[in-house]
Amino acid sequence: MSDNEIEILLVEDSPDDLEMALRALRKAHLTNRIQVARDGAEALDFIFGTGAHVGRKVENGPKVILLDLKLPKVDGLEVLRRVKGDPRTRKIPVVVLTSSKEQPDVTECYNLGVNSYIVKPVNFESFAGAVAELGMYWLLLNQRPQG
Amino acid sequence: MDRWVLKVARPEAMATDNKINQPLKELHELKAALDEHSIVAITDPQGKITYVNDKFCSISGYARAELLGQDHRLINSGHHPKEFIRNLWTTIAQGNVWHGEIKNRTKDGTGYWVETTIVPFLDDTGKPRQYVAIRTDITQRKQAESEILKLNAELEMRVARRTAELEAANKELEAFSYSVSHDLRAPLRAINGFAGIVLEDFGSLLPPEGRDYLERVRNGGKSMGQLIDDLLTFARLSRQSLALHRINTSRLVQDAWLELKPAVNGRLIETRFGELPPCDGDPVLLKQVWVNLLSNAAKYTRGRTPAVVEVGCDQIDGDQAYFVRDNGVGFDMQYANKLFGVFQRLHRAEDFEGTGVGLAIVQRVIHRHGGRVWATAELDRGATFYFTLNRQKT
Repeated sequence: MSDNEIEILLVEDSPDDLEMALRALRKAHLTNRIQVARDGAEALDFIFGTGAHVGRKVENGPKVILLDLKLPKVDGLEVLRRVKGDPRTRKIPVVVLTSSKEQPDVTECYNLGVNSYIVKPVNFESFAGAVAELGMYWLLLNQRPQG
Repeated sequence: MDRWVLKVARPEAMATDNKINQPLKELHELKAALDEHSIVAITDPQGKITYVNDKFCSISGYARAELLGQDHRLINSGHHPKEFIRNLWTTIAQGNVWHGEIKNRTKDGTGYWVETTIVPFLDDTGKPRQYVAIRTDITQRKQAESEILKLNAELEMRVARRTAELEAANKELEAFSYSVSHDLRAPLRAINGFAGIVLEDFGSLLPPEGRDYLERVRNGGKSMGQLIDDLLTFARLSRQSLALHRINTSRLVQDAWLELKPAVNGRLIETRFGELPPCDGDPVLLKQVWVNLLSNAAKYTRGRTPAVVEVGCDQIDGDQAYFVRDNGVGFDMQYANKLFGVFQRLHRAEDFEGTGVGLAIVQRVIHRHGGRVWATAELDRGATFYFTLNRQKT
């Protein structure tokens, strides 16, 4: 599988949440082209073709980024800021998946141009459902702008 | 001598004719009274003292002989800026009366405050001939004033410090709820999630008892999640500032009921929502109040046929009191005082689910609106929750 075929970039530091999200995507048959980043720096390297991902073309970005907010090294807000601040990546849909319902986070994310803001439900079925629906929506249903 | 004060000082030397004596006598008495009340001094146009009364001598601590012929600046305290003194002299030199408060200095250097009126008397050419100064000792009042100013300043400082402390505490609370919502929910999700995954993927491999226990793990996690959410809501409602608006209460109640619809889906509940007068308050917070009261009414009428939820407004003790009445299981009034406490529950969890935060939220919001909330009930015969909103929009 080449980098260029990646459809979902899943940025998640918690191994538990990661496992549950991957399982949910697997169940929804959306697993074939997932790239996982465990912190914000790794996510940025992948998106912008730097570090371990040198040579990857920025233009072949993932179709959707599922982004946790609280991340080691570079936090989710910064990743969001960088993605939405660069004309090459601005059009990639970013879905923030967080456990925080606190208002400042939500407002900040929308200010930065997030496409969706989802609070991770404590309830397992809702969590699995939410992740699967998100993947489905952004990959299959949503029409991306051309170019 | 052209100073009338000296002339009237010797009334016995005046003509005996009553027609002349009478006004002089009155003048004399007026002066005697004035001397009782006021500190009096007269200076020439250059400010040289030509007359002082006894009060002047006693308050300044100088003997009369030490004052007469001296420059009036002798008693200047140096307290007032040059500008102030210049303004005084300009005023009276132009023939105008000056009025104000001055700090002077006694012979031994102590300051004293006098409320002062200086009246210039002019000669035929319109130039000041002499200045008569009448003063009242206001030292005590000034001391009291400065005491008050000092106390006020101290008070303001304490208020400022207290406010800063409160703001810091508020920030801390905010940071705390933030970390609660982030950090506590994550492990809960894992407990809940993996218990669910085991049930889903390997449930068939477990004996019924094992499945039951795993189900309990999930339920425990679920209710803890609800608890955390409710507590965070409670904390947020407590610190969020009120945005007061005129509210169409009937519509607010309808909206709240619509929000509950999914939760009571399938149940037959008869609603009697009367016309409700509008109120002034924070629409978001008050909607939460109605949602909580209505959902309680719906919850505790479970099993009744028909379940009846009534909403209305009564005049109680001169206040407009909204109420939500139901025909549910009610409660024993001897526990009414526990009703609004956080985590207080009057029913067993297996009978009626809940975290015990809903009514605490109701009370917090109502109190923040300056109102009160109370309930009446009878075991097994329904309950009525009342609240008032005293804060009136003017």
